[in-house]
Amino acid sequence: MTTEPPITDQGSVHSGGKEDVNMNNNAKPGGDKQPIRAGVRSGGRKSLPSPITSARSNPAADNRNMRRIIAEDPDWSLATVPLLTELCVSHVVNNFADHPKLDELLPKYKAKVLEKISTDLPLKVVAHLVSDEGYWERCCKSRWQVCDVSKYDGSWKRMFFERHLEHIVEHFVPETTDLTELNATLPLASPYIKRLNIKQLLPPVKEELTKQIDDVSDAGSDAGLDGPSMDHFEFSLVTQKLPHLQELRITYGVQDCGMNFEWNLFQFTSRDCQLLSKCVKACRSLKIFQLHRSKVDDDKVRVLIAHILDHPSMQELDLSHNMIGDSGARAVGKLLNGHCVLKKIDLSNNRIRANGAAAIGHALAKNTTLRYLNIRLNRMGDEGGQALCRALIKNSTLEELNVGSNELTEPTAAIMAQVVINNITLRRVNLSCNRLGPDGGKQIQEGMEENKTIQELDLRLTEVGQESEYCINQILKKNQERERELQLMEKEKNSLDR
Amino acid sequence: MNGHDEEEDTGPSVDSTDPEERIAARRIRIAKRVEMARREAMGEDPSKLKKEDKEEQSKSKRQIEDSRQRLTKLESDGSELVTNVRVAADAREAHRRTEEEEIQRQRNEKLEAEAKAGLERFDEITKKWEQANSRDLPMELHDLLKQQKSLSEAMIDEKNKLINDFQLELKSKDDQYVKDLKKQAEDIDLMIDRIEEQVKNLTKAYRDEVTQIEKSFETERGELMDNNRRKWEQAMTGRGDQELEYMKQRERRVEEFEKQLQHLRIQDADEYNMVKIKLETDVQVLEQQLQQMKATYQLNQEKLEYNFQVLKKRDEENTITKSQQKRKITRLQDVMNNLKVKLSKQEKQYREENQGLADDYKRITEQFKELQKKSKHFQATDTRKFHDIWCMNEDQVKELAQICLEQDRIIAEQQLGLTWKAPQDMWFMDSVGPIRSQKSQAEATATSAHDVIKEVMSVESSVQGDDETVEQSQPDEGEEGEVEGETEGEKTKVSVKTIKRVLELLCDESGFLVESKLNTLLAPLEKDERCLMKLDAIFGALGVETEEDVHKLANFFIKYQTPLDAPAAEGQTADEAAPFTVDTEKQTTPEEGEASTQHRASQVTQPTTTKVGQVSDGAEDVEQDDFDEGDNAEILQVTGRQEEAAGSIRSTRSDAPELIHPNDVGKALRDFVNEHSKPAKEKAKFQTFRIISGEERDDSEDAAYWASFPSVLSGKQEKVWKALLDGLEKYSDVLNQRSKLITETDSLRQQNAELRMLLHQYINSKVNQELEIPPTRVLNLDVPQ
Repeated sequence: MTTEPPITDQGSVHSGGKEDVNMNNNAKPGGDKQPIRAGVRSGGRKSLPSPITSARSNPAADNRNMRRIIAEDPDWSLATVPLLTELCVSHVVNNFADHPKLDELLPKYKAKVLEKISTDLPLKVVAHLVSDEGYWERCCKSRWQVCDVSKYDGSWKRMFFERHLEHIVEHFVPETTDLTELNATLPLASPYIKRLNIKQLLPPVKEELTKQIDDVSDAGSDAGLDGPSMDHFEFSLVTQKLPHLQELRITYGVQDCGMNFEWNLFQFTSRDCQLLSKCVKACRSLKIFQLHRSKVDDDKVRVLIAHILDHPSMQELDLSHNMIGDSGARAVGKLLNGHCVLKKIDLSNNRIRANGAAAIGHALAKNTTLRYLNIRLNRMGDEGGQALCRALIKNSTLEELNVGSNELTEPTAAIMAQVVINNITLRRVNLSCNRLGPDGGKQIQEGMEENKTIQELDLRLTEVGQESEYCINQILKKNQERERELQLMEKEKNSLDR
Repeated sequence: MNGHDEEEDTGPSVDSTDPEERIAARRIRIAKRVEMARREAMGEDPSKLKKEDKEEQSKSKRQIEDSRQRLTKLESDGSELVTNVRVAADAREAHRRTEEEEIQRQRNEKLEAEAKAGLERFDEITKKWEQANSRDLPMELHDLLKQQKSLSEAMIDEKNKLINDFQLELKSKDDQYVKDLKKQAEDIDLMIDRIEEQVKNLTKAYRDEVTQIEKSFETERGELMDNNRRKWEQAMTGRGDQELEYMKQRERRVEEFEKQLQHLRIQDADEYNMVKIKLETDVQVLEQQLQQMKATYQLNQEKLEYNFQVLKKRDEENTITKSQQKRKITRLQDVMNNLKVKLSKQEKQYREENQGLADDYKRITEQFKELQKKSKHFQATDTRKFHDIWCMNEDQVKELAQICLEQDRIIAEQQLGLTWKAPQDMWFMDSVGPIRSQKSQAEATATSAHDVIKEVMSVESSVQGDDETVEQSQPDEGEEGEVEGETEGEKTKVSVKTIKRVLELLCDESGFLVESKLNTLLAPLEKDERCLMKLDAIFGALGVETEEDVHKLANFFIKYQTPLDAPAAEGQTADEAAPFTVDTEKQTTPEEGEASTQHRASQVTQPTTTKVGQVSDGAEDVEQDDFDEGDNAEILQVTGRQEEAAGSIRSTRSDAPELIHPNDVGKALRDFVNEHSKPAKEKAKFQTFRIISGEERDDSEDAAYWASFPSVLSGKQEKVWKALLDGLEKYSDVLNQRSKLITETDSLRQQNAELRMLLHQYINSKVNQELEIPPTRVLNLDVPQ
């Protein structure tokens, strides 16, 4: 403000304040301009301390009325009355909620209006009307402190609506929260939403209240019995109305419960599972589905997989941090052998043992779509590891494998060495936290010496011995370099082709 | 790295109370050491290599490669460092799980054992309850109850103990959980710290690398610059040397050239002087010429200007007139259009009129033909009647004359008793039929002439086959032109051959008059026939219809052959002057021809003299003759005789007729047509009244003829006859009286007889007898009965 010269363009942001000043200076009847002045003030120019208050309180005493030039006021301007267009724009801005007019305006005024309209305007008005990213950026920033637009393909509008809907869903308490807000928002937001990342789901409140009266020990045991009444938010309400939904991430649980922890806050009921499975099945455009940290056990996994067995577009399935056992793993194996086009499966931190691993390995031997498999932090043991590795010898699509923390030992390392020799598609393998021992390490090292494709092989906390680890690292480095050269050559080729 | 170590120490420390943590820490340490060792090995080796390769590879690229490798290593190390925390946590968790499993198993065993023990005890107690049933004494029962109570209490205690154990375990687990939470928080903090450190390090490393790369680029650039500068300087010095050399060479060459130039200049100066003198003279001459030219030019210009002015004026006039003409043209165009319309109308009208007239004409011609036929018929009948009447009258008269003569003889012989002599001049008594003055003689020659003509005609009878009128009119000719017939006869005798030859000539030469179609049609015919047909066509074209025309034509041909004859030559010159008008006249000839065809009947006789006249000298006389001919036959005869003489001369000359050269045929034909067209007109005029006067015969002699009959009796005889008549009349009167009287008497006698008869009748009738008084009685009865 201070750097601005006294006489400036009327179209500048500060015209409102100047106008007021000038009106006083010209001693015009204030009544005529009152609406405008009020409008301007209500338009959100609170940061400017208006000089008019003092002037109005005591017009006679203020000597500024008598002067043409007021040197001490940096906002002062000779410009008398703003342009009619300016007034119109400000009027449009002020009455935007009632009379939204945007497309009728010329581009430059449109830009001005978009710059000025409030972020608190009802979504009903702006959702489809405003496509300007600047406005939505303002909206997002005013609502959330952390905004990473890169996660939303650089679209502020998408971010706003997705996060808005997530907020509604996350704070939805079944049977108490009114559905109207959700129903009002959905049709407005549906064209823009591609992803839903639900970080928490609240259980019904009244049960909670009754439970709180009971003693703590009962709460855990009774939670299962009260299952039907503990149902969470019904996703069919949302997914049906989102035609562009591609990504769905759900956690059945409460965030930041702190010391109010209770087991029933983290209850994934069978009815929830049924409903969710149906939703996922119905949502044909879904590509990524994540259901983690939700206590999903074998039965529920089977229900879920039975529903998504023939899903046409599902590419990524994330069931990490659950309670999936062997039968659940078998279901996953069945899914891998089915008609699905899954590229990525994450089963980390579950309870898969040797049988489940064998089932997955069996499926893996036949599967031709899967690129990524994560079975970290399970209980496969050598038996399961061996089964899985045998399958990997045959498989020719898997690129990344994570079998860290699975109680694997030397026998698995021996077979892994075979895999390393024979498989030429694997890029990254994680064997960390398995006691492979020095012999296993040597075997793997021997295997690696014949491999040219693996770029990363995590052998931390495997007690393979420094020597072999060093050699393997060297080989990995070579492989990386080769890969890089290949990529460079491909790039050159592509550029030449163009 | 030291920083890392320090931070790491805050994480899972080796000195930690937790064995797992210690293990993890150790592992981390080991990994770190390994990394350090690896890093040292990696870091040093490439640097050495770098130095070795320096000379070969470009510095900057190498630098970039090095930096990249270093950075990737740094990055991988950093990420490893960060993920180490997670790995350690995983390992811990896995370890915990195995332990947990073990504990679980132990717990289960404990529980099972406890349950077994509890069951046993419960069995024991229930057994004792059975014993209690058997006890009757209250004291015993009390004891037993106490025992039971103690037992169950012991069991409950055991259970409680177990529960307490579990609760203790749970509490410891809770503690563990809290600890774990703390640990995790610490881990997370550690991870965050590491990440931050990593980011810092990486950014620093990247910055360093960038500066290094820049530096290497700069050095490389500097080297390059030095190199280039050196090269540049070398090149510059080389160039300077070369330029110096060039300069020297140039100077040398300049001197040489200057010498040459000097030489050339001297030469050129001489040449220049000579040429200059020559050119100056030339210039003078040319100037003179130029002056002359200028003068002429001036003159021409003036002339041309004048002409130009005149032409301009004319042009203006022309434009004016042109515009006028244009206007006129337009106006005339309009007029023309109007006229055209009118013309077309008129034409139409005239065509219609023409059509009408043609129809009328046809009708009239037909009528006329009819009339002609009628007239011919009537003429014939008239002549026949006339002849018959004449003959009848003649016979009557002759009879009367004979009677007269006979009576005269009778009178003379019987009455007078004289010897009777017949009158001497009694020629008319011998004549039979109408009088023909001198024709009797001429007729013989005329017929011979006909024959001759027919001979000729035999040649061209087929040609003029349609010209029946010629033959038909022959008798008329015979009647009228007896004298002419003679002359013609002679002439034709002479020219029969020539005519034939003439005709052949015509046939050969004037093919142009024959239509091409006809030629094609005639091709298959014989030569004679073809000739005839051709001639027919030619005559049709020339308007030659009569034999006379043929002769005329022949004469033309012959005339041309004998141009020595002075009068003929005159005519010829006159004729030759004519051809200019021939064209126009030719056009009219067909019409005239038509006209002539209409009056063919009379054409034959009329122009004979004309022809003769042409043959003889006096062309003008001939024309006059032509006009007078119809009226004055006697004059004709006279002239005809004169001409006869001339004709004889001519005929002798043309005894050896030589025809004109075939080349002159055209000219001759033209002349012929020219000549022929005029008489045709006159003929047409003439013919109109010829029809009327065609049958007029010479009746002048008739009166004489008829008057000669009374001369049978002379005046004396007449007197005798008169006297005789008187006497006889008187005698006859007497006789008549006598006869009258005789007849009177006779009648009276007869009356008498009749009366007697009547009386007789009356008397003899029966009535009388009936009567009382019969008449007889009255009467004298003298009637003899």
